[in-house]
Amino acid sequence: MEAVLKNVGRTVELLAVAAHSGVVNEWDEQTVTRAFHWARYCEHIYSRFHGNPVIRGVLEKQLQLTNHSLKEALPEYNAVSFLDLGRCQDLLLLWLLNNSALPVSIMKMLFETKASADSTSSNYEDVRGLCSQIIQCKSACTVLRPLLGVPTVGADAEVQGEMLMERLGSALSQSSDPLRAEDFLSSVLQEFEVAAEHLCPVIAAALLTTTDSAAQTASQDFLLDWLQSRRGTLQHVCTALPSKVLADLAKRHQKFRDAFCKLLKRWASEMEYRVTEGEWVHAATSSAVSFQKMTEHYLALFEACPSLRTEIEDELNARRIADGDFDVRGLSVWGDILLALRK
Amino acid sequence: MTELQVQQTTAHWPNVQEMPFWLEKAIAWGQTDTPHTWKDISLHLKRLRDFLQQLLTEISSVSSTTETLNRLPLLGQLLGRLCWNPHVTAEGASRGLLLQCLLALYSEHPSNAVEGKANQWIQKVLCHLATDEEDGAAVALMKHLAVPTKEYHLNVLKKMVTRIQESIGNSQCSVSSTNKGCSCGSVWAASEACVPLITCPEASPLIGALLQQQMTCIREGLSENFLGALHSAYSRCDLLLDEQAVVSLWYQSLPSLEEAVLNLLASATAAGSTPSKVEEQVSKSLLPKACAQHCSVFLVVNDIFRTVLKQTERNERVKNVFQTFTKCFFMELSRLQPQPSASLKAFFPQSPPSLLIPLFTMPSEMPQESLKNHLMWVSSSLQRLTEEEEDEEDSDSGNIRGNHKVFEAWFLLVQCAYWVQVAVQLLVTSGPEDCGPLLWLLTFYHHPTNRWHHRASQLVQAKAAWDHLYSLFSTVAHPLPADHLQSFISLLAPKPQQPSLAPSLTLNLLVNFATFGQLPQSTSAEITQKVVHQSGLQDEAARVLSSLRLRLNDRGSFANDRVHLRIEELHNTIKKPM
Repeated sequence: MEAVLKNVGRTVELLAVAAHSGVVNEWDEQTVTRAFHWARYCEHIYSRFHGNPVIRGVLEKQLQLTNHSLKEALPEYNAVSFLDLGRCQDLLLLWLLNNSALPVSIMKMLFETKASADSTSSNYEDVRGLCSQIIQCKSACTVLRPLLGVPTVGADAEVQGEMLMERLGSALSQSSDPLRAEDFLSSVLQEFEVAAEHLCPVIAAALLTTTDSAAQTASQDFLLDWLQSRRGTLQHVCTALPSKVLADLAKRHQKFRDAFCKLLKRWASEMEYRVTEGEWVHAATSSAVSFQKMTEHYLALFEACPSLRTEIEDELNARRIADGDFDVRGLSVWGDILLALRK
Repeated sequence: MTELQVQQTTAHWPNVQEMPFWLEKAIAWGQTDTPHTWKDISLHLKRLRDFLQQLLTEISSVSSTTETLNRLPLLGQLLGRLCWNPHVTAEGASRGLLLQCLLALYSEHPSNAVEGKANQWIQKVLCHLATDEEDGAAVALMKHLAVPTKEYHLNVLKKMVTRIQESIGNSQCSVSSTNKGCSCGSVWAASEACVPLITCPEASPLIGALLQQQMTCIREGLSENFLGALHSAYSRCDLLLDEQAVVSLWYQSLPSLEEAVLNLLASATAAGSTPSKVEEQVSKSLLPKACAQHCSVFLVVNDIFRTVLKQTERNERVKNVFQTFTKCFFMELSRLQPQPSASLKAFFPQSPPSLLIPLFTMPSEMPQESLKNHLMWVSSSLQRLTEEEEDEEDSDSGNIRGNHKVFEAWFLLVQCAYWVQVAVQLLVTSGPEDCGPLLWLLTFYHHPTNRWHHRASQLVQAKAAWDHLYSLFSTVAHPLPADHLQSFISLLAPKPQQPSLAPSLTLNLLVNFATFGQLPQSTSAEITQKVVHQSGLQDEAARVLSSLRLRLNDRGSFANDRVHLRIEELHNTIKKPM
């Protein structure tokens, strides 16, 4: 453990040098390769211990110490957090490229491009040409993105969902205390209160990934429970996503189906009929659900789960009858929904 | 030389004129992102690369960035805009040149504010391109999950390739429902967009899928730029495609197919290629497979062969390649169709139909006893054909079309030359009464045209050679009749006055007699060695022997261990210096 702490500390110091020091001017290819090697080492340490509270605590303490002394030496220094260790190579690259003392020869090495397709899939150990490969990947993604047509959730969300599931899975397996995993999810998702609508496809994608193992199923279950326990997030998800995606989720997970149906009923019951517009409108203006959208949701749901149709129609009918059994528009939201569905 | 290069040698800094053009293009490309923009980009990509190359040369030749920027004030704008265009940066060569131009402008020791600012700007651009610092929520999530940038983007790329492949696989063009608007437009758009990604390893499954998409639509097809770029990459051996994708490429791009065929011919007839090497090269080349799958591909390949053959009638190496190719092709065809003979007419529209099935029946598929009769029939058919044509020629000397039929029949025979090999082998065991038609066949194979009616004389020589061999290899007397041997050897020498017999014909007879004859091994070897060394035809003899060995190794040939031993011995004999 001693050795690990020392190495991590040294690497953080290395990062600081890379970011702010003119010494970088003397670096050659070997030095740079070694620097990335140490950065990779830190990433490895992170992935091994981020779920282990005890070791994590020790590492965080070490970081605190190192950060403190570095800050004293270099006022412009930005502290490195434990989380940052997980993407140490990215940080190293970023800070190197921002350092005006970086020699051109190093830049040329990092951005070297082999024109031929000889260099088959990235060797992670290679620093030469690293940046060119990153640019190729990013550009290729941008080029291909418009070709995806109307996505269900989109390739980006799919990949993010997969990675979320992976991290969640390892968080669940690394400690027997489910609170850890919960904390993890909350911390990840809490950062993005602002970007909630971005997260929704990610959560959907995570729940739709095919599960090959019991552990993966457990992770998905965990995520579902977590989602259901947070009314706000669930509502967000059901508002932001297209009907088809929600229907797929309902098809896949019984729990989600139940929660979704409940939510739809709640929305419908909260609707008011506006005579001037001739439309049912949701009472709380914060919600973005329209009558039409709700009908679309129901229709998509029926397509994905045909067995639900009779059950739901019966229920809607029962409520319509309870409302007075009228056949005229505008009097019972349940009746109007039924009308719209039957068209 | 391109126009641009010509200009460069005569004018100073010609790029000053080109610059506004490219800047305008770069601006236009940045404004819209439609399939038509992509088409324009891929149309200009090669020229852009050439331009960037020139820029790079010129920037590198000037020592100070200030000087460069003075001469090319629009340079910064152009490079900047090109950096933000993913269609330019996705393609390997253009990305490389662009980055090199940027780095060439970086000053190690900036001497003024302009250079300092340029340095800052360059570092900022590079940083932005290679890291995700400025990207939005997506990447923020990945940071929080501690996923490295490279891994993330690589996974997204692979995921996209998979999804697009799926949607392409699902798109159908139903010619009947024309009012629905077919999705082939999206396939065209996809092919146009993928032009910069042709050499990107992760995108190769998608490229393959696009190539193999059943293009049944009459309106849309794969983009011309796409096929052209594929062909260029293919020529540079820069393409990573699986087998079926390569076949599809040949099917859709005639230049690629032609290049593949010519490359195969060149490597298969290169010095030092043995018959077994040729067979390996041919079957590895995927061309037989492609021909079996698409009749149109075969017709093109056959046409190229036809043209080559017309120019190199006597070249045994070339003829050997054709024979090997046809054999491999027929094998592939049999794999695809239970009754390959039924479709032969489609593959050989110009050949005499009556000869197709007889020649494409493999000798191994017949009982040994029927081989001779079969060959007799083939020989007489061909004889009839040549006589017909010669009659026509004599009666109507202006009719040159006549030669066509005989040539096609001979072409077919060349491709099915395994039958000629069987004929030679049978000549060893035939008697003087029935060797006639077989000798005729052999002579026709080596001398298809009967210019100046030389065939009669050639037939006489062939018979003489056979007579010699027949008596040489039946006498058990030892020592060998020296004069007999000498007169045989003299047959092999070229004669200036008469039309001489192709040496390979005589050698082929000799080798077969030595292998299958009744004389003891050592005697046969001695005879062979004397003949081969005195006539100086070691290489040709070795080649003939290798062909024989290869043929006998094939499944279904009637060869036993004794024969194989003899061949080995003969081979060593020929190789031994005198």
